Amino acid sequence: MISRLLAIALFLAAALAIASPPAPATTPRPSPLPPGAFEPDTGPSDVIYPAQSIPLRFDHKKHVKDLGQRCTSCHPGGATSTQVADRLTPPGTKCDGCHASSHADLSAVRAGTGSAPGACATCHEGYVPGDGNTVARVIMQSANMVFSHAKHSVRNIGCAQCHGAVEELGIATRDQLPRMRGCFSCHQKSDAASRGEAKGACDTCHIKGQGGEAGLIRTRFPSGALKPPAWLRDAEHGPDFIERHKRAAGADSQFCGNCHKEDFCTDCHDGRVRTAAIHPADYLSMHPVEAQLQTQRCTSCHREQSFCVPCHQRLGITQSGPGGAHTAARFHPPPSVWSDAPRKPGHHAFEAERNLSACVSCHVERDCVMCHGGRGIGGGVSPHSAGFLAGCATQLRRNARPCFMCHDPRDAELAQCR
Amino acid sequence: MKRDVGIVACAALLAVATAARAEGEITSDTAAQFYDVRSPTGETVLARRRVTTTLGVSAFDLLGKERSAGQHHEPNLIFRARLRYDADYGADAASASPTSLDKLVPGFSRGPVDIMYGYVEGRRFVGGALGFRLGRQLMTDALGWWSFDGGEVKVTTPAYFAVEGYGGLEVRGGLPFSGAAGRWERDGVSRGDRSGYDAATYPGFLDADVAPAFGAAIESAGVSWLSARLSYRRVYNTNTPFNGAPGDALAAPPLVAGPRLSSERVGYAVNATAPKVGALQAGLVYDVYAGLLSNVYATADVFAGRKVTVSADFDYFRPTFDADSIFTFFAAEPTADLGLRAHVDATARLSASASAHVRTMETQTAPHLEGATRALSAAGAIYPSNGVAFNEGGSVQARYRRLDTTAQLRATGNFGDGGDRVGADLYVERVLETRYLLSGRVGAWQWDDKLRPDRSAVNVGYAAGIGYRFAPRSRASFEFEHNANRLVGQRLRFMLWLSVAVLP
Repeated sequence: MISRLLAIALFLAAALAIASPPAPATTPRPSPLPPGAFEPDTGPSDVIYPAQSIPLRFDHKKHVKDLGQRCTSCHPGGATSTQVADRLTPPGTKCDGCHASSHADLSAVRAGTGSAPGACATCHEGYVPGDGNTVARVIMQSANMVFSHAKHSVRNIGCAQCHGAVEELGIATRDQLPRMRGCFSCHQKSDAASRGEAKGACDTCHIKGQGGEAGLIRTRFPSGALKPPAWLRDAEHGPDFIERHKRAAGADSQFCGNCHKEDFCTDCHDGRVRTAAIHPADYLSMHPVEAQLQTQRCTSCHREQSFCVPCHQRLGITQSGPGGAHTAARFHPPPSVWSDAPRKPGHHAFEAERNLSACVSCHVERDCVMCHGGRGIGGGVSPHSAGFLAGCATQLRRNARPCFMCHDPRDAELAQCR
Repeated sequence: MKRDVGIVACAALLAVATAARAEGEITSDTAAQFYDVRSPTGETVLARRRVTTTLGVSAFDLLGKERSAGQHHEPNLIFRARLRYDADYGADAASASPTSLDKLVPGFSRGPVDIMYGYVEGRRFVGGALGFRLGRQLMTDALGWWSFDGGEVKVTTPAYFAVEGYGGLEVRGGLPFSGAAGRWERDGVSRGDRSGYDAATYPGFLDADVAPAFGAAIESAGVSWLSARLSYRRVYNTNTPFNGAPGDALAAPPLVAGPRLSSERVGYAVNATAPKVGALQAGLVYDVYAGLLSNVYATADVFAGRKVTVSADFDYFRPTFDADSIFTFFAAEPTADLGLRAHVDATARLSASASAHVRTMETQTAPHLEGATRALSAAGAIYPSNGVAFNEGGSVQARYRRLDTTAQLRATGNFGDGGDRVGADLYVERVLETRYLLSGRVGAWQWDDKLRPDRSAVNVGYAAGIGYRFAPRSRASFEFEHNANRLVGQRLRFMLWLSVAVLP
């Protein structure tokens, strides 16, 4: 076993070494960052905030700290906007007042000549004089969320409370857009009315789905698929999340339902089509080995007496059923090992103890009662565990049916449980 | 069955009509699969010609306020329902006929129809504090997946928790609109529709009957860093449990009739996250009737930076069954898994996870004690344990994802006294021009069956699929799968899929 563990450990180490990212080669992102950003920051969600291209030069620090401008001087919509589709970046005409330029006619923009720098290249990166008076296009797509600046500003929520200290920066980019973790500093609320107006429901900020996602929040965008981050319910949807999702789902009955319909879950948990992501290859031939590895979790998706037994009966490998092809020796070891006395390793008593679920996937209880029942052909070989008598009185009182499957009500042994 | 389908169709139409002014959708998913299950000697034992089709109807914002600007938190009503038809045309019709004793498979049906779910849900009533569901609904918590017909009410309090209560009938196989095979009831008992069965025909196959159930839960609410749910559920059996026939060795057990316990369990799950530190997820399930813990799990995650998560997992599982089942009282040992895991987000597109675990179980290899069993029983020492056995395993999984391409690699190895299993799969899916779907899977798996060495094999397989997306949520696709191993020779599977979403 040690060699196997060593092999697994080496395998693990090699995989991690391969998967580990190289040392960061990029320069540190500017600080300070919006509330909720991590250090080091890897930027906001690419899905919520699609990639931007801002080929501009601008110095927020100079305009705000040195020249005393307010945020709303250039971004008046920051106080009144009600939708994310509203364009809040100032148009070129906003610059004209100080820089003496003219952007009134974008087909005939004139550079400024005043005291403030007004040359086109002052603001437009890559501007080449004489190149048709053209500049690179600013590309800023709307955020994929629901947001009203007006609702926040009327509650006296300042710009920095969501965007961070932009006045310390030069150009502001999507790195200054709010982080979900920062939103929770106020939106950590339930839906109960008494919890204020900063509701914490997903659809407070996330777009509601339509066309197949109706009733949920929208998760599919041209910029990618929305997934929960690791810090939210520890529900990062990594490549092995299918093996770990129970931990997130079990503690919050509604969490998964924000993005997934029941169908998504029942495809596996009540499924009718083998999911290759779970059961690989020729799983029909392989599945007995997995059962022998004491995997008792088949019951997460399969009810054994309904899913396994009927198929095994159709195949004729069960003790009960229409029969045909089955022989006991074909599946189990020979009787000398499997069922004859004396018991020894490999005997069905031990295998049943190790993985009773495997037995239940083929046998109906009458198969067992034939020998274990008090009046069965085996004369009553006790299948009970040690300490059984301690709790059997309550169990007999609440449901005597399993007791009477093997014991006559007048059995002296049963009296111990009365 | 035709009558069932008719009733459900009428109900669906009524729902759509009621929701005519609301937003809604009709969806349908159909999967057809064709494959054979062959015996080791080559003959076809089962010819599967399966067609599964579902029809879903949903209506949202039935009160008409939800989508108004600034009305995100007004009361809202939602209706959802899904009907399923699951047929196997390859099966012998006699397998479902109670008069064909040589072929009858108890409870088998060639084309059962069931309502997977169908409910009306209310949200944010009474100032946002009250929510409810009425109808056939699914529930998930530490007690696992479950379905019942009935009502659920949830009150969210100002004190960061919600209280929930529910009651109704557990969804059981063999009852109307519930399918032939039970899925949501506790295991250990074979139940279904015995209509047409003679008393002597499979007496162990019990007649299904309604199963009253109720439960309650307390759940955290309103915080992002903590979720926790304490749940309690009790279910009753009301069916006639014995069907013994004269002359049968088990024919005369005394009849136990009337309501009796089916299951009573308590579950708790907690999930606490410190965004810059890590997370703790834990839970347990206690089976009140069996008087034992059936599941305990815990996971500690450490966020080692933004890209790396290191985890330690523990999982203890001991099977428990319906209180009607004799398996409840069989000696059964738990398994306990202890695992380590690491997850790396190498880039925004590439992530990988690797894990290793050891599974332990007690084995009881005492000498033969038949003669002394009964005496030892009273002393509580029927099966003295003599040690712990181990199974080991590990896996590496990696995923690369772009907007139009997903590639996933999985390599797994499991080793134990009962057998070994080692293999790897590579799956790639690509969408061309947002409409054309291509997928492929290739894998090699080797399994070593130590109990039946003649059943060991190496399997090499691949699958290839093509599809066309003719609307955002509507697609048709075809998949061909081919596996080869020495046990079955060549195994082929053909799959056809059709998904349609219509927005009235």
